[in-house]
Amino acid sequence: MTARPLTPAQRSPGGPDRLAPVIATTALTKRYPGPVTALEDLTVAVGPGVTGLVGSNGAGKSTLIKILLGLLAPTSGTASVLGTDCAKGGTRIRMLTGYMPEHDCLPPDVTATEFVAHLGRMSGLPATAAKERAADSLRHVGLYEERYRQIGTYSTGMKQRVKLAQALVGDPRLLLLDEPTNGLDPAGRAAMLELISRIGAEFGISIVVASHLLGEIEQICDQLVAIDGGRLLRADTISSFTQASAVLLVEVDEGTEQLRAELARHGLAPVPYQKALLVALAGEATFDIVRDAVADLGLPLGRMEQRRHRLEELFREEEAPAIETTGAADVR
Amino acid sequence: MSADRERSAQTAAAGAAGAASVGGAAGSSGVIHDIGYRSYDGLRLGRAQIVRALCWHSLRSAFGIGRGIKAKIVPLLTFVIMCLPAVVDVAVIAISRSPTRQISYDTYVPQLRILVLLVFIAAQAPELVSRDLRSHCLPLYFARPIRRIDYPAAKLAAFFLACLAMIEIPLLLLYLGTITQVRGTSVIWRETRALIPGLLLGVAWALVLAGLGLLLASLSGRRAYATGAVAIFFFLTWTLATLLTQIGEHGIGPAPPGAAPSALARLAGLISPFTDLDGLRMWLGGTTPGQIPNPGHFGPLYGLMFLIFLVTGIGGLAVRYRRVGVA
Repeated sequence: MTARPLTPAQRSPGGPDRLAPVIATTALTKRYPGPVTALEDLTVAVGPGVTGLVGSNGAGKSTLIKILLGLLAPTSGTASVLGTDCAKGGTRIRMLTGYMPEHDCLPPDVTATEFVAHLGRMSGLPATAAKERAADSLRHVGLYEERYRQIGTYSTGMKQRVKLAQALVGDPRLLLLDEPTNGLDPAGRAAMLELISRIGAEFGISIVVASHLLGEIEQICDQLVAIDGGRLLRADTISSFTQASAVLLVEVDEGTEQLRAELARHGLAPVPYQKALLVALAGEATFDIVRDAVADLGLPLGRMEQRRHRLEELFREEEAPAIETTGAADVR
Repeated sequence: MSADRERSAQTAAAGAAGAASVGGAAGSSGVIHDIGYRSYDGLRLGRAQIVRALCWHSLRSAFGIGRGIKAKIVPLLTFVIMCLPAVVDVAVIAISRSPTRQISYDTYVPQLRILVLLVFIAAQAPELVSRDLRSHCLPLYFARPIRRIDYPAAKLAAFFLACLAMIEIPLLLLYLGTITQVRGTSVIWRETRALIPGLLLGVAWALVLAGLGLLLASLSGRRAYATGAVAIFFFLTWTLATLLTQIGEHGIGPAPPGAAPSALARLAGLISPFTDLDGLRMWLGGTTPGQIPNPGHFGPLYGLMFLIFLVTGIGGLAVRYRRVGVA
């Protein structure tokens, strides 16, 4: 993770409204004819900084983003972005906001420079400024000489970068990124996340990253908003998510079930995780109980480590107590 | 304002910190170049100016400007072919020294004009609308500080201007070529008076053709389908109108000489935008013989049909883009 020289509060635009939320929704509901409920009574306030918007596919992330951009009218409730009401001030919001769609949205037969400069014009930049900022934002996302090539010749990773560059070209206050790591290989994902994190930390731009991959989003976010089935699951800072989640991982080479029963008898609630058990840490006493339990049962202790409970596991516990396997970092 | 300044001060500081690595960073794609972020404090254009920029961009692309060589072939060729009769007529006037135009301003060269416009619209209307549908980049436009209706409005304005240029530049060439070779203000005045209805009709043509052409092209993101839809609609209706007019005029078989055109001959022109525009011209007082017989008392129907074509094209385009998905 990159160093963050500025705290979220410092990064936000100054002035009297510096602590005002970047995004605020009240009882936001969106129903599509069908009837399909995409968002249900969503009330959330998002401060400056990098915010993760997590939820499984179809949880309502994209719908929320479209409402925030003023492109979709909510069925009921209100939403505001940078202090402007989404239903009334869509044009103003879109002037201050950059949007990176989830799906492929690039024409293959123009060069990246031309395309980004054109969209810079569409963001309200005069012609010369649009060209300069197109070159700048393409350089920021790591495309330099390649920017004179037609987009059709790009790899998926490069296309994702062009999508990010076009969101950045209008010098937005807020970036809405919908699944920015879609279709990328692990190295590409890491580079994209690093880039997003850097934009948030150094460019002074607030970012909302929508993703169904909690594992990767938690690395770069200051705050997290989790939605499921259009409802708010939880919204908080990353630290408070993780503070409550100090756990002890205990792995024994055999007799995991025995140990589980023994620990449960001592008032702990171990949760199986892969081949190991996770035990919530409640001070030094927990270590002693685990040590004694392993010793009493005479089990071969393979591993015992204190670790930060990964957020995905938190959600797993809340949503589905019976954990089978893991590996994929999906919310579900 | 103070918020902006503070922000740019922060980013400028970040920029200074990262400026060292600019030089050596060019090249490979995986590297993230740390040049610092420069925020933009300059002028921002309003919605109307953005729409104008989009219109200008689309107008250029209607003629393949700012695109590759291949994109320029069809518009350039059709434009040259369209101007050729005017140039030839002017040359004939110059050589024969008889200041009589062979081509009239209000119909120009009817058959050729229709065919050339058909090719131009079928090839270039998809260039303006189908490409964006195909590459799904409409969400990028809609996420900008314009309204949804602005996109089709800018495209329509651009294609209207493109069609207008195709129709009226040859007329202006013909006019300028003629008046430079005649003497006397009365002749110039007569030429100008003849030109004006031609120009006005050109506006009507461009409005109807641009609206219908873009609407048909916007039905598909596949360029071939879009071109096909435009070509088939315009060509089929035109062929049908011409055929029915001929049947109405002559019956099936050899033509009885001097017979007045039947109601079928007078009404068949309503089917096609091209013949409808011709009928509209005659109803409004055009005397040059046209593609179809003078509609006579059916004239108002041609006016009505003109409005229907106009509303279908423009209104249809607005509805089409209200329904298109955001993402």
